[in-house]
Amino acid sequence: MPSRLEELKDGIRKALPDLDMVLAWGQGPDSLRRKPLFIVSQADIDKIVWDPCCSPNLAGYLTGLRGKKVGIVVKGCDCRSVVELIQEKLVDRAEVTIFGLHCEGTIDPAKVRATLPGDARGAFGDCRVSDGRIRFASDTSLQNLAASDAFYDKCLHCSDPNAGFCDYFIGERGTPPPVSTAPPDALERLEAMGLEERFRFWEQAMDRCVRCYACRNACPLCVCKDHCLAQSRDPHWVDQTDHPREKLMFQVIHALHTAGRCVECGECERACPMGLPVMALKRALNRQINELFDYRAGLDPEAIPPLFTFREEEDRIGEKKWS
Amino acid sequence: MVMTEARFIEKQALPSWLASMRKHRRVLVPQRREGLTLFRPLDPGQDLDLDGLSSEPPKAALLPRDEALFAFRYRRNGDKPPRWGVELIETPPNEPTLVFGSRPCDACGFATTDRVYNAGTRRDTAYCARRDQTVVATLACSRPGPTCFCHRVGGGPDNEAGSDILVTEVAKGYLLEAVSSRGLDFMRESGLKDGAGLTAEAATVRRAARAAMPDGPSLLAAPEHVRAVFEDTAFWERTAAACLSCGACSYLCPTCYCFNITDEARGNEGLRLRSWDNCMSPQFTLEASGHNPRPGKAHRLRNRVSHKFAFYPSLHEGALACAGCGRCIVFCPASLDIREIVSQAMIQTANAEGEPRHD
Amino acid sequence: MTEPPKNIYLPALATIIEVIEETPAIKTFRVRLNDPGQMEAFRFEPGQVGQVSVFGVGESTFVINSPPTRLDYLQFSVMRAGELTSRLHKLKKGDQVGLRAPLGNAFPYQRMRGQNILFVGGGIGMAPLRTLLLFMLDNRADYGDITLLYGARGPADMAFSQELPEWLSRKDMTATLTVDAAGPDWPHKVGLIPNVLREMHPSPENCFAVTCGPPIMIKFTIQALLELGFTEDRIVTTLEKRMKCGVGICGRCNIGAHYVCQDGPVFTQAQLRELPGEL
Repeated sequence: MPSRLEELKDGIRKALPDLDMVLAWGQGPDSLRRKPLFIVSQADIDKIVWDPCCSPNLAGYLTGLRGKKVGIVVKGCDCRSVVELIQEKLVDRAEVTIFGLHCEGTIDPAKVRATLPGDARGAFGDCRVSDGRIRFASDTSLQNLAASDAFYDKCLHCSDPNAGFCDYFIGERGTPPPVSTAPPDALERLEAMGLEERFRFWEQAMDRCVRCYACRNACPLCVCKDHCLAQSRDPHWVDQTDHPREKLMFQVIHALHTAGRCVECGECERACPMGLPVMALKRALNRQINELFDYRAGLDPEAIPPLFTFREEEDRIGEKKWS
Repeated sequence: MVMTEARFIEKQALPSWLASMRKHRRVLVPQRREGLTLFRPLDPGQDLDLDGLSSEPPKAALLPRDEALFAFRYRRNGDKPPRWGVELIETPPNEPTLVFGSRPCDACGFATTDRVYNAGTRRDTAYCARRDQTVVATLACSRPGPTCFCHRVGGGPDNEAGSDILVTEVAKGYLLEAVSSRGLDFMRESGLKDGAGLTAEAATVRRAARAAMPDGPSLLAAPEHVRAVFEDTAFWERTAAACLSCGACSYLCPTCYCFNITDEARGNEGLRLRSWDNCMSPQFTLEASGHNPRPGKAHRLRNRVSHKFAFYPSLHEGALACAGCGRCIVFCPASLDIREIVSQAMIQTANAEGEPRHD
Repeated sequence: MTEPPKNIYLPALATIIEVIEETPAIKTFRVRLNDPGQMEAFRFEPGQVGQVSVFGVGESTFVINSPPTRLDYLQFSVMRAGELTSRLHKLKKGDQVGLRAPLGNAFPYQRMRGQNILFVGGGIGMAPLRTLLLFMLDNRADYGDITLLYGARGPADMAFSQELPEWLSRKDMTATLTVDAAGPDWPHKVGLIPNVLREMHPSPENCFAVTCGPPIMIKFTIQALLELGFTEDRIVTTLEKRMKCGVGICGRCNIGAHYVCQDGPVFTQAQLRELPGEL
């Protein structure tokens, strides 16, 4: 029985003649990282990698490839980004061919390096999930970790690891990552704090922020990146001083812009060089949207995000019942 | 190299000595903060991290993330008709600083910015004032990190460019050797004991570090190749395909130094602010007419790589504007690798000429 | 300014002494430095630019378009395009601005001595040409024939309309005006600048051509000049770029290894051809 990777390669091989490009993952600059692979020829297909290091969400590249017929390989969360883009007509459904996978979870290189030394050269070899552990095997060493010590926090609370909407589902569907007890995530830790402590937390966090806007540019749904209010002079929402106030203001506005649209793919946090838990703000707002409108982003390509539409009376708000 | 004198400090005595240096100056050291190593003012409550490369270079010591170039104030100047006069107020920097624990690649960043900000007749007075009041004590590296390539760009684990003092870790502690007269003056007032007896051990440690650098072809010959590939738009489109046009590479780079100038006003007062900017941003070259000479990420990536490996060297006797620290590779969310980009340019243009170009 | 300022980013304060409305979108500002000693000592060469500040808004680059032979005031012509130019347009006589000048390089006026000069200007691009034109008229004996071709979209878009009658009537220069489209009362030429240029068929012999205008106009004008036989080192233009520091540090205005604020904004076509294609 062919491996999932072989099945994926086969699927892409067959589809490529009718496509301009397929987005998948290839080997990155070190043993724990994978990078976006832009496949245009059959020879490129040999470079495809699929393992728990394949964290980047490739959906963000689709909006820059409009007008082309593009294939894309997606995990559970990535697929929700694609669905959201289709919902909002930022991507043309007819132009996209979706290859869906079951994801076993993705490793956070910083977490792994904080715990394991790698082999003599600092490399980790092959990575796979087996028997509930994340295993790294190189020529000279064998190491393993529990999921909670290796995976991104978002993977420890995965809502659905299977690509929910696709043209081809590769391999079998499966369950979320094996987590016995997930430690409290950033949002839970923040909500356990009092307001003063929470404010100090963000002051300290934003002190580390360098305003690179990797979080913004990595977000598949961010539509105004080239005309961002954080760089606007009119209106002058945010100034260029290196002050936590300005940087937090940008984060808050970005969270508001993505409320009910964010699928919690975690790209913002993965991209941040300073390890800032910026997705916590978006998750908090998503929860509000869910409570108010009984809605989660990225599930139904026919749905309209609630903040894009207007109804005279919302089921859960009951405006007409107020007086 | 001015290595006429050496000073020594035991490992366990280092934190208290650094704390004593705070009496007369700001002391910036690499410290652990939430899983990162950042240059921050010495805080005895935080762990000093002298093991490996810091997450951020100490660039902000000379090029702060923001800085007021001057302040302005409008004042009413008469009532018929009402006129406004403007007052400009300067606040030159004045804070002696010790940077302890920078790496040779970080100091190479300072050498890179020195050539631009202190270029004879053109002196950026704020930068020069800070430079004159800063002592850079660089810790030589004992082993390379996974993405270190300083030795391929004219540097090395014990390179002295940009530093005032070279610190070498020896068995019992740290040996300090002056590289500049500023470093020598500082060492003479440092209160540290003589370290002459340990210079040979330090030299051995540094020799071993140089030998431990991984193999890899030199990139010093890159400029003509990177220039040759400028018009090859397909090369740059391919290379930039995954780029997000963020600023992670530039802001964590020891040699990137571009800045923006904006007026930040509140009512009748304000600041003319200088702040970090980066050429990967779509608005960097956007003109008021709407025309943008670098409208796409391929154009911008081409400019960044070409500046570091072709334009800057052509203005500064071949010195590359890349320290080989590898932080851009570590932090790029799309895994762009500048070593690969430059190597590809060298291979591609070598093939065109029919002979290999690697040294 | 004869002495370099201590803080290269600190502008000198200047007061607007006159505002002239050239067209609905273009205003000319004449300023004098507040410090009489500085104003007295101010020197520059034709083609050099300044960073004009509106404090609270920022700075923008404008050519000093009065000539260095007439130092009663410094003149800048501003087309309203963005935040700073819009605020500048609201200022009146008596208001204060900041000035960092002179910056950049100058037209190669020494190499042009004894030569014939052909000016080809489009729209606001006439501004840098004005400084060199007036400088040459003030040093008339040093130059040969002076010819001006100035074009704009329509009659209402012509800058320096107060001066055009004088330029048209002077015996020591030949001026031709053209617009893309005009009504029946327009007595001058109608046609795109490169076409009118070809019609005029100027001789490239012993002649320098100096041109400025919107990028597309410059491109086609240079093409026409080359067709007419002008050599690349005798075609001169001045470039626009987003500038911030103006002194070659902030890294923004480069074309390849050349900083437009230092090696430019004046370039010959020969120099432009050597630059990477990134205008």
